[in-house]
Amino acid sequence: MAGFIELMLERFKVYREPGYYKRFDYWWAMVIDLDRCTGCGACVTACQAENNTPVVGEEECGKGRNLSWIRIERYIEGEYPNVKVKFIPVLCPQCDRAPCEVACPVYATYHNQDGLNVQVYNRCVGTFTCATYCPYDVRRFNWFTYNKKNFLKGNGGSSTSFEPPLDQQLNPDVSVREMGVMEKCTFCIQRIRAAKDRAKDENRPIRDGEIQPACVQTCPTKALTFGDLNNPKSRIAQLAGLSTAGDLHYLRESGSKISDISSNPRTYRLLEDLNAAPTIFYLKRVMKNGSSTAGHE
Amino acid sequence: MAHQQQGTSNISYREVNDDVIKSMTETGRGFYLVLAVCIVGLALTFGLPWAYQIYVGQGVTGLQSPEYWGLYLTNFVFWIGISHSGTLLSAILFITQTPWRRSIYRSAEAMTFFSVVTAATMVFIHMGRPWNFYWPFPYPNQREMWTNFQSPLMFDVFAIGTYSTSSFLFLYFGSIPDLAAVRDRVTGWRKRFYGALALGWRGTDREWHLLQKAYTFCAVFIIPLAVSVHSIVSWDFASSKIPGLNKTIFAPYFVIGAIYSGTAGIITLMVILRRALKFEKYITKVHFDKLGMLLVVMSLLWTYVNVTEVFTGWYANTSYENEALKYRMFTTPSAYLFWLMIACNAFFPLLYIFRKIRLSIVASLLISIGINLGMWIERFLIIETSLPRKFLPFMWRDYHPSWVEWSITAGSFIFFTSLFVLFVKFWPSFSIYEIKEDIGIPMERKGR
Amino acid sequence: MSKAVLGFFPYVDKLLRAAQRLKDAGFTDIEVLSPIPIGHEIEHILGEKKNPVKYFTFFGSVAGFIFGTLLALGSAALYILPRYGKPIWPLTPTVIITYESTILLGVYITLIGFLIFGRLPCFRERTYDIKISIDQFALLVRAKKDRLIQVEQIIREAGAEEVKRVDEK
Repeated sequence: MAGFIELMLERFKVYREPGYYKRFDYWWAMVIDLDRCTGCGACVTACQAENNTPVVGEEECGKGRNLSWIRIERYIEGEYPNVKVKFIPVLCPQCDRAPCEVACPVYATYHNQDGLNVQVYNRCVGTFTCATYCPYDVRRFNWFTYNKKNFLKGNGGSSTSFEPPLDQQLNPDVSVREMGVMEKCTFCIQRIRAAKDRAKDENRPIRDGEIQPACVQTCPTKALTFGDLNNPKSRIAQLAGLSTAGDLHYLRESGSKISDISSNPRTYRLLEDLNAAPTIFYLKRVMKNGSSTAGHE
Repeated sequence: MAHQQQGTSNISYREVNDDVIKSMTETGRGFYLVLAVCIVGLALTFGLPWAYQIYVGQGVTGLQSPEYWGLYLTNFVFWIGISHSGTLLSAILFITQTPWRRSIYRSAEAMTFFSVVTAATMVFIHMGRPWNFYWPFPYPNQREMWTNFQSPLMFDVFAIGTYSTSSFLFLYFGSIPDLAAVRDRVTGWRKRFYGALALGWRGTDREWHLLQKAYTFCAVFIIPLAVSVHSIVSWDFASSKIPGLNKTIFAPYFVIGAIYSGTAGIITLMVILRRALKFEKYITKVHFDKLGMLLVVMSLLWTYVNVTEVFTGWYANTSYENEALKYRMFTTPSAYLFWLMIACNAFFPLLYIFRKIRLSIVASLLISIGINLGMWIERFLIIETSLPRKFLPFMWRDYHPSWVEWSITAGSFIFFTSLFVLFVKFWPSFSIYEIKEDIGIPMERKGR
Repeated sequence: MSKAVLGFFPYVDKLLRAAQRLKDAGFTDIEVLSPIPIGHEIEHILGEKKNPVKYFTFFGSVAGFIFGTLLALGSAALYILPRYGKPIWPLTPTVIITYESTILLGVYITLIGFLIFGRLPCFRERTYDIKISIDQFALLVRAKKDRLIQVEQIIREAGAEEVKRVDEK
């Protein structure tokens, strides 16, 4: 009996401790060097090809229903001739304190053991709440059945998605999503799984740089870097200026700004003040007046 | 004890039974006409578009990123709001022993139940995969898949589930004596039907005693429940991070708005009911007078909360909040809606200060419909002017509802009307025994 | 099968007078059938009634509280799905779920208590008259056979419009 009570108390402690899952094996994160980014959009295309994302056509894109999981946001400042164009690739930052996770009534989205914010397509009922709660607007919805012809409506203007022979180019490692479910960037979880399997077979941890999501692999200027933030020696930890274990611990435990922790003055996180703790670190110096060092004039 | 100031004291007990039962058994041609219009309208504006949407997908709506919540959620909040006055008002007036409650509360409670049902259908219409509608319910299953009790939507499932069943039971148990009275007067299938519903009620002193006690306890439960339901609905929005939605004032704001629109709904309903069922002698001007006063109070409260909302946003002075407020009031393509809402909800109801307006049926009808129009716009603006202005300006995009959404919105009103039309035919829509209480206990020596 | 007397009164004060006299004469098994509740008046004569429903309300609420807590915390503990950086057993959301389930079971069990102690539903024939649901107040008095005449006499003297003997099961 005493043993049982002890067990229950121990469990209770575990359940009441918010960060009990910090003993994750990995903590996948990404660094995006905006000074290297040329805004070419290769990452967008690569993502589309890797993750079986349907092409929805002009009309649906105009309605804001393109399904690309990563987008290049363009911001144009000033009037001609003093025009500055800035862009920033935005994809799901796999927030540590993700607002979308609390919204789902059926656990279709939750935090997995690698620190990823995952979406379970089979469980999704389509309440849209996760997408609404997402401050980054990175969640995408399957408005139609894109992979087969629909006689009432030609797949929302695009009947070409995955029509033969295009179905031959689908990635076998990724499911084709059903109508009515939410989807979003997974950090190419199929590649992470494959690498973990390989590492397990060879009885070693995953090497730094072993996993490259499609966007990272494709980026011609190497603006995107992917890696494990639990390892302070990894390339992304170095790039983000979080090169000591203490930094990482502090980042995880406190809600403070990355600029207070990081040794790299260029590191910032998008919409950091919302306290969602995103794990994508952008590299660009943000000046006191809110402008950045180098626009692309 | 006897409340005879309502002008009902000269009605005999028998007359009450006759009137109410006549409204249920004698069916005119007008009723069938209304019913037929309702059924056809329901099929055309509600059934077919929904079937089309289920078959083709949510893409037939005007929803888009980031506008993932649209008219369906607007309607959901609107109908939950309408539901708020019936049972809540009935319970409050019951506990405070307010005499003018008695002849209106039955239909007000039915209004609660039916609008909760309408709101629930809106949730299922809003779902991306409505065939999995049962997944958010916490039922034991062999996959051991439970639900996320941290989700504000789960609170909704519990709150609305509790509210709809409780308000139905409140309605049903309150009408058992009346169902018995109907049972005693009808024949044929109706006899069996109401006999089963009346549960063998005889009206013994024990039954009355226990019913009153149980009813009082239920009323005590219903009041905090109703307040919690709309608070929880507001938390669907307020627990997000979105500027314009993430506000601490939302719970009282929604509750006040709900009682406000619900009370206006009761007035509209009373005007229609007393006309359609010829119940002018039971729904008197006293009722319009009292509810009109209530509306003035609610209108002032509503205005106060709205002003506070703008004030807090203005003083907070964050760029997100500023943009959301500016968008809501000035720069949205439908900015005129905001000012129409202010006119309908803050200014016109002030006319109720005048007793003449309160007692005028036509003015009451117009103002109450105006209030509900304004309240619908309020819910629309809360959702539709916050989501298009989230944090990243690259994703800013206006929302344009599609014909499917408009049609189902109209259909939800027809759905509610159809349920109500069936209700007045199958249920005693006025409380027979409480109108009798109103008339007074018959004594040989008057003036006890 | 025993006999009982059923007397109909159009006025409540007459009924109360009859009840008082019957009580004085030593009859205890008196029941009132009425179209509206006249509890307060009749309680003065027949004595205060017990209210067993309140125990149902209390235990129903407690059961709802326990049910809600167990459901929210127990199902969360079945598998560890971290979300939002919050604990698996959060306090605030559990309070809301518990609040709702307290009310839910409170209402249900209160009404079940009413049905049990009100002896409803009951679909067998019981002493009743359809006039009661309109405007007649009735006194139903069960007594030994030899005293029924006395009952009838008291009721009639008090001003009943109609008195009849009925079979009571």
